[in-house]
Amino acid sequence: MTTLIRANLPVLVVIAPLFVAFILPPLARRIRLVEALALLGAVLGLGGAGYLASIVLTQQENPFIYQLGGWPAPWGIELVAGSLGVFFLLVVGVSVPVLLFAQGNLAAEVGGAERVTRFYVLYLLLVGAMAGMAVTNDMFNVYVLVEVATLSCCGLVSARRYPRAAEAAFTYLILATLGSALVLGGIGLIYLITGHLNMGFAAQELSRVWLARPHVVLMAVSLIVVGFGVKAALFPLHVWLPDAHSTAPSPASAILSGLAVKGYLICLVKFLYGVFGPTLLQEFAVHRILTLLGGVGIITGSILALTQEELKRRLAYSTVAQVGYLILGFGLLNVTGLAGALFYLASHAVIKATLFLAAGAMLAATGKRNVRDLAGVGRKMPITMAAFTIGSLGLIGLPLFSGFIGKWYLLLGSWEAGLILPAVAILAGSVLCAAYLLPVIRAAYFAPAPEEDWPDPGRPQKLALLLLAAAVVILGVRPGPFLELAQKAAAELLAFY
Amino acid sequence: MLALVFALSSGIIGGLLVAALPAARTRLRNMVVLFFTGSGMICSWLVARQVWAGERLRFAGQLGGLTFCLDPDPLGIVFGLIAATLWFFTVVYSLGYMAGKAHQRTYYAFLLVAFSATLGVAFSGNLVALYLFYELLTLTTYPLVIQERSPEAMQAGTKYLLYNLAGAAVLLLAIVLTAAWGGRLDFVGGPILAAGLKTGLNWLLFLFTVGFGVKAALLPLHRWLPAAMVAPTPVSALLHAVAVVYAGVYGLLRVVYSVFGTTLLGELGFAALIPWVAAGTVLVGIIVATQQDILKRRLAYQTISHLSYILLGAFTLHPWGLAGAVLQMIGYAVLKTAFFFCAGIIAEQTGVTRVSQMGGVGRSLPKTMVAFAVVTLGMIGMLPLGTFWGKFYLMKGSVAGGKWPLALVLIGSGIINAVCFIPVVVRAFRDENKRLSITERGVRVTLMLVPTMLLVVVGLGMGLFPGMVWPAVQAVVDWFF
Repeated sequence: MTTLIRANLPVLVVIAPLFVAFILPPLARRIRLVEALALLGAVLGLGGAGYLASIVLTQQENPFIYQLGGWPAPWGIELVAGSLGVFFLLVVGVSVPVLLFAQGNLAAEVGGAERVTRFYVLYLLLVGAMAGMAVTNDMFNVYVLVEVATLSCCGLVSARRYPRAAEAAFTYLILATLGSALVLGGIGLIYLITGHLNMGFAAQELSRVWLARPHVVLMAVSLIVVGFGVKAALFPLHVWLPDAHSTAPSPASAILSGLAVKGYLICLVKFLYGVFGPTLLQEFAVHRILTLLGGVGIITGSILALTQEELKRRLAYSTVAQVGYLILGFGLLNVTGLAGALFYLASHAVIKATLFLAAGAMLAATGKRNVRDLAGVGRKMPITMAAFTIGSLGLIGLPLFSGFIGKWYLLLGSWEAGLILPAVAILAGSVLCAAYLLPVIRAAYFAPAPEEDWPDPGRPQKLALLLLAAAVVILGVRPGPFLELAQKAAAELLAFY
Repeated sequence: MLALVFALSSGIIGGLLVAALPAARTRLRNMVVLFFTGSGMICSWLVARQVWAGERLRFAGQLGGLTFCLDPDPLGIVFGLIAATLWFFTVVYSLGYMAGKAHQRTYYAFLLVAFSATLGVAFSGNLVALYLFYELLTLTTYPLVIQERSPEAMQAGTKYLLYNLAGAAVLLLAIVLTAAWGGRLDFVGGPILAAGLKTGLNWLLFLFTVGFGVKAALLPLHRWLPAAMVAPTPVSALLHAVAVVYAGVYGLLRVVYSVFGTTLLGELGFAALIPWVAAGTVLVGIIVATQQDILKRRLAYQTISHLSYILLGAFTLHPWGLAGAVLQMIGYAVLKTAFFFCAGIIAEQTGVTRVSQMGGVGRSLPKTMVAFAVVTLGMIGMLPLGTFWGKFYLMKGSVAGGKWPLALVLIGSGIINAVCFIPVVVRAFRDENKRLSITERGVRVTLMLVPTMLLVVVGLGMGLFPGMVWPAVQAVVDWFF
């Protein structure tokens, strides 16, 4: 049994959440059971990821290659759990505390018990798709997973009966479908000139044929970058994100901002470094475009966040800015910068989930959306606000919190790339981040509190917030396997450069 | 080693304890605050004794691939002792000053945590630790700045945060570049950057100067300091005349002697410019101070001026200049704290906050005003007070370092200081007819008056017996030259 599990681990981590998602609908009437099963599905996925990580990290098998159905690579679909895959599988583990937060209070969030099961199904489909993106090594498979993720995201955004949410979901649906179509076009072009859908084989072939067909390759790169850019809210393709992420129910906001966006970015990394390769990127100056867009995204996203009165919208715009950091790091084209970006990805996943869940808990308890109206909430909801504060300090990038380490390596990376402007953007982003998050904390702790009674949320919610806040600190003090995996992944991705 | 750990953690432990106590338990809270600042102070002195005896107290940890270490050296010890000792005095003064005021629990909790952050800055052994505590200091002192919660205080607090966080961001960039060029970040083992590579070093020095210059209130970056004077007087005394601004000054001393080293700095064009920026800050600060009517603002601008004395000394790159800078650090901290304490007593007892209203104050509060007068002499740099020796060595250093106009700037600044404060003293003792019916009796005033008097005595002692502090100064000079 154990050997069977171990042998099939890469596919099991994907299948576990998907399988649970499929058995949930018939049980819809028994909400308690549905909740427990959903949590179980996510925990199983995380457990598998942990096991897989231990296998890869101890070098028993790195990368852990799995052939679906036993068909070898060019014909069958290949799953590769290398450093990058395992790293992102661990990041997907953020879905567990978010699910924990949903326990017991989802009905109020989505407006009706009958919608709860639907939410969990979509949620687990999204988690499964994310896990799939982490391990798949097949381009068409990526497309399928991207579509699964997109549709579940759409469903999650509109999980609540709320006109603004429906509108946001519709905008998202149109833009995200457009993005998928572009990605599919890009994959088609790569297939056209290489004859392969497996990333490794396509990369080998591409390095030989790209000189003969430079325009086709350029077209493919553009389609892929723009396609994933739309989905990952790469500036200036971010227009859908603030509405979608701020109107969704809180656990959905947390998972969308924390995780879904990152899945597309991991796919983008796989295409950029795994298929096209750094040499090709440099040839077309794609890395400079990425760095530029990232830098502009950091500044613009932060300034837009600064102007938002509504807390969840502020956080949503902040995600646009933080995606900028990652894109900037992807474009630096050196191991330090890429490792920094990957670590920052993990850090932001945890931090943004913390912030959105805390904001959701405050919204649920107070009914107030605007930062100004949340005066005194720190004294009434100490645990929620403590988690929010820790998340904020992490996002600003203070030492002892996870954001600092990511920023440190990004700064070192931009120095190695010989660029000073990205470093300036990174630091300006930190200061702006302080400018849009610290007022929330100030209002919460140092402004006079109103008479109303705002209690902290229930026990599972508190536990989820504490777990996430602890993760922010632990990643900042002992990043251990995460930093190691990020550095290894970056080194592997840039190995032939 | 144990002393180092306890010196650093006493503030945090005490702060958490205060935060956990119910707000109404005033007496118990006061005991806790006194105990933890007192023991923090004693432990700092123990650490100092060990370091002076030649021991190395290195305490290193990992922070995500970065080494983080505490490793006090003689320069750090000087700053640490100034902070720890004055903290205790300030806490005693606060017990009187804050009695009956609102938000006391927040005040004491953050005052204690800021104590740890300051000692952390002083005792840190590399740039990562220094940066960590530097940021921590900004955040933990913010609640103290906005203590009054008035719109003016909130505005000042926002300015304070933004200036300091932006400065720290620039500092982080400088630290990353240092790590990339120097390959290490530890202070021990000579300057981090080796002589020889020169391209870009001017920029690096510029980044460091801006990063630490914000807290050191170097001229165009000083705006937060006068604004932050809305804080309660003990906070102004401690943080905006000593701890926070000294963290910036201390950082710049570190940059000069531990990051670049005097040899390398001697070759950099920008390093030759900084003493003149400092000299300009000295003069402009004190001239602007003469124009201020609000007493605390006058003191604030004077702080800006006097901090640059220290920078000026450090950038003479001469042992005497460094000795002068260290002496000035010690002497000025003691007297300026006393100065603020006096202003606080005057404001609390008579409600007078403006220089123009000072008439008759000297008759009602004779002890306070005598202390004020003695401190004024110290600010001018006259002999029976410790600051004389600082100024003496600063001038000696600037002449020996080949920058004799700096000595003239120092003399000029002394004269303007006299113009700035002697009329205040004179006015306070004249105007008999406006005599106020207020006395210096009562527990509250005594709690404020005793630390003030003691500090003035210490200042006098350092002037009359400079040998008292000289070993500490000698240790710093020997460490770097």
